[in-house]
Amino acid sequence: MAKRMVCRVGDVPENTLKECEAEGGLKLVVANAGGEFFGFQPQCPHQDVPLCEGLFDGTTLTCHMHLWQWDVRSGAPQGLAEAPLQKYPLSVEDGALYLAGDDSPLGMGELFNGLDSGVLENLAQLAKREQHAAGALLYRPGDPAEDFFVLDSGQVEFLVGRGDRAAPGGFMLKKGEVFGWAALLEGTPQRIASARCVEASALLRINGKSALRVLEGDPASGFVVMRRLAALIARYLASSGAR
Amino acid sequence: MRIQVNARNRGFEFDARARESVLYAGLRAGIDLPYECATGTCGTCKARLVSGRLHDGWREAPGRKFVKPEQGEFLMCQCVAESDVTLQVPKFINAMDSGAPDARAGTVRSPRMLTHDVISFSVELERPCDFDAGQFMVLAAPGVAGYRGYSMVNYARGARRLSFIAKKKPGGGFSDWLFGADRNGARLEGFGPLGKATFDPSLGKNVLLIAGGSGIAGMMSILARAAEAKYFDRHQVWVFFGVRTMRDVFFLDELRAYPKADITLALSEEDPPANTPLRFERGPVHEVAKRRMAGKYQDVRAYVAGPPPAVDAAIRVLLLDAKLTTDNIRYDKYS
Repeated sequence: MAKRMVCRVGDVPENTLKECEAEGGLKLVVANAGGEFFGFQPQCPHQDVPLCEGLFDGTTLTCHMHLWQWDVRSGAPQGLAEAPLQKYPLSVEDGALYLAGDDSPLGMGELFNGLDSGVLENLAQLAKREQHAAGALLYRPGDPAEDFFVLDSGQVEFLVGRGDRAAPGGFMLKKGEVFGWAALLEGTPQRIASARCVEASALLRINGKSALRVLEGDPASGFVVMRRLAALIARYLASSGAR
Repeated sequence: MRIQVNARNRGFEFDARARESVLYAGLRAGIDLPYECATGTCGTCKARLVSGRLHDGWREAPGRKFVKPEQGEFLMCQCVAESDVTLQVPKFINAMDSGAPDARAGTVRSPRMLTHDVISFSVELERPCDFDAGQFMVLAAPGVAGYRGYSMVNYARGARRLSFIAKKKPGGGFSDWLFGADRNGARLEGFGPLGKATFDPSLGKNVLLIAGGSGIAGMMSILARAAEAKYFDRHQVWVFFGVRTMRDVFFLDELRAYPKADITLALSEEDPPANTPLRFERGPVHEVAKRRMAGKYQDVRAYVAGPPPAVDAAIRVLLLDAKLTTDNIRYDKYS
């Protein structure tokens, strides 16, 4: 594919933001963070407010509407933000910025974002890309939990329990969200919910035990992932009260 | 009607009364559905209809610019279920710890003009109401479609009487009704209390209050709450109250009742006269606050209310100059 220019380096002064349209039509916001350039989605993942109207201090971007914040280098959510930003890696050549490939869903999600690039690469090698039609059942309660999934596109919903007693268990719709994380637990975990694609969905399927071996090879990254997994589980436990 | 909400983390079911919006029914059931203004402006209560029929009571609501109707999206605060409905809300939602809001009826008492375009009034409730300082009620007048949100000015536990102020807004249904005649004794429908920009003395931080115009309402409630808890003895409290000119000033005596608070009035369009009873400065309220607060932002929680441009300007100062973290900036753009 031909290189797609985004803008001239001089179009985005230091520590400012600019909304740009890349050749071929992709809209993105470019941030100049102390001379380094970062590209990400043009609208807030919360309510589609233009992020180029946000507040930017050279490191942190704040959407003015509800004060969601992100680190522009990683796209990682901070403070009140509930979702990361989709990033568009940029390259600089001859005074211009170009799109440099797409961002993997693996590096976007709350479990794995910002990890050591070697660890991310090893995890990416374990990932099998799958495409599912609307209505496809990915697993049901009692199935062995061998793999976990990273959502790339589409929507997946969960039902907790079986048959008549099944109750809605939420849904996933953001690129990079991880589900089926029982596969990252010790022993021979089982599914406690069913997972079904609400619409046509693209997923990464990763074997849990193999991923744990990668994380054991880099205990610092492994600790970060386990700490985030504990926070994730706690968030779901906190919400499972009487309905 | 039975309403099922599928949130990002789990599902909820609750019943709605006749003509009750999906949002109010869910909040009344103690489910912390997302909202800010609860009156059709902000778009925060956006949801997607999965099955069933809804009636949209206000198709011209400003908040509709945030929804995609072709994808089944709608505002929960404006839509009433016409059958059992299932809907999807793309947020994490939990049950409330306590204090679910409810429908409340009351009678208007002692309306009084404070300036040429600001009125104060009370609502005498049929049942007492607990609320937090900084919260609001939505009120509907007889024969006027829709609710409008107003922050409580007073603070009391088990309150029988709620005090409000309202600014005259030409073309605003409730405002036209309120200013159009003496409404003493008129009956109002309400729902509340609502709002999360609240103050409780357990906060234990210095408090910065920045208000533009009628945004001072919730700040008065916070001051009353703070005074009751002798909060001024342990923490600093700054108040910045911005209006255009001297003829827009009100609540001077009420503010002077808090001598331990550091109070500044900001006039954006004229120089203040000499010998004012409180400190007056010239400038937009966020600029005046920025000048006076420089270097004093340690351990501060800020509350901001007023017209949206004033709130945005103040938030910019608090984030970029004061370097407050977002959890220490509480704001309400819709008072």
